[in-house]
Amino acid sequence: MTGAALVSTSGSATRSSRFVDNPKLDQWICFWSIPVFYTLFGVIFVLLGRIMPPPTPTMSTEGIVAFMTSPGLSLAVVLLALSLGLYALNSGLMLTQMKRMEGVSPVLRYAYIAVLGVGGLPGCLFPGYMFALGAFRPEYDPAILAMLYDLGFLCFVGSLGCFVIQYVVFSIAVFLDKRGIFPKWLGYFSIWTLVTELVATPVFVTQTGPYAWDGLLSFYQGTVIWVAWQTCVTICLYKAIKSQPLEELSIPLKPNEI
Amino acid sequence: MQTKDQRICLWLVPFFGSLFIFAFWNFQGFFPPMSPTMSAGEVAAFYRDNLGHIRSSMILCNVIGVSLIPFYTVIVVQMMRMVNASRVFAYSYLIAVINGGTLFALADLAWLNAAFRPERDPQLTMLLNDLAWFAFITPVGFVIVQNFCLAMAIYLDKGPQLVFPRWVAHFNIVTALLIAPSAFALMYKTGPLAWDGAISFWLHLSTGALYVVVMFFVVRAAIRQQDDKAVAAQSSWKEQTA
Repeated sequence: MTGAALVSTSGSATRSSRFVDNPKLDQWICFWSIPVFYTLFGVIFVLLGRIMPPPTPTMSTEGIVAFMTSPGLSLAVVLLALSLGLYALNSGLMLTQMKRMEGVSPVLRYAYIAVLGVGGLPGCLFPGYMFALGAFRPEYDPAILAMLYDLGFLCFVGSLGCFVIQYVVFSIAVFLDKRGIFPKWLGYFSIWTLVTELVATPVFVTQTGPYAWDGLLSFYQGTVIWVAWQTCVTICLYKAIKSQPLEELSIPLKPNEI
Repeated sequence: MQTKDQRICLWLVPFFGSLFIFAFWNFQGFFPPMSPTMSAGEVAAFYRDNLGHIRSSMILCNVIGVSLIPFYTVIVVQMMRMVNASRVFAYSYLIAVINGGTLFALADLAWLNAAFRPERDPQLTMLLNDLAWFAFITPVGFVIVQNFCLAMAIYLDKGPQLVFPRWVAHFNIVTALLIAPSAFALMYKTGPLAWDGAISFWLHLSTGALYVVVMFFVVRAAIRQQDDKAVAAQSSWKEQTA
């Protein structure tokens, strides 16, 4: 950039190469929390906790005790308790971009707030606590450790409801939006991701095979498609923020508008 | 007046705050806090010996568990008044508040369940007690993000008159940092980081209490400022139309 600062089209804001001077700084901070959060997510669940990929539901008692007493598990849950809140920044960003849609009333945003306000707990922090309880006192009765093991993995792999409704709400918003904030194919992709979540429902009744919580369909297929979906959403969010006109920023709210 | 509802939510804080102080004092397991090194037998004995206190405190906590939510939503409304480029921090703050509130609701249910059948296998009573303490002390990630969002919204407030003064942003960052180490209570049974320790219990709870008191006055000042602005806007409108 040649000059110290270029006057932007609106004339009121100035643009420069420094990150902190970016007029969309607030959204960019939330955006960059997404890769940070998912990197931590990988460290917590894959490297430290060894919760992903999940061990078998038919594990022996010795195997369960060994899983619960593995050295990284406690630290993994500590990091989860510290960092899970970052997910709220991702959700806030989705809501901010959904607010720009045309032909979409607040009803879908309110639904999105409510669903995500609950979503992370049954499927992420609560199972983390089940594992942390086992790691905290490996001297618990083996029957209790086995129950914590089941409860942890059933919640972690099988808690689908909040995410299903998140996909429904998001894809309806994408389909109705006349401005094309997000591409329509992302709506179809969300529906597809929803279907793979439904495929995981048999984890509660089966202990072996592709539908078990460590199975090819319930876990691996769902996880691969979810990672692809999250990547696409993140790229689309990047484009949506990038293309947001500066005139749309810093608009005062109308009374009673949220 | 437009802000009557906000002021009602604000004044719920001292009301519910005093109920919290009473419930925590009455619980018997907080002052001094129960130790994570207690054996299953000792935990079961604690529940048998203090049954009335535990039940009455935790039934009260169950009723008032998420009673600070109206206060936090006043903060959301005040964040919406700030001149930020977008409302992304206000939305994120709201989602973090909902998540954090849910966990405290879980903690008191686990305490109540432990006290429901004192004759239960002591191992199970200890399990419920552990879960309650985990859910009470360690889910700090939501508070950190909540405070971070508020602080960033204040730092980036470009309005001619700031809704919250800048020191409130520093204050939010500092309280988040002081509360953060409590997550390590999931790992340690002894020392300052254990759930009954100097950092995870005493520093955490005193910081939390101080935070609510300070924010009470800060939010009160922000609501007054909103009132003054509304009055000024009305009188200037009257002058223009006269």
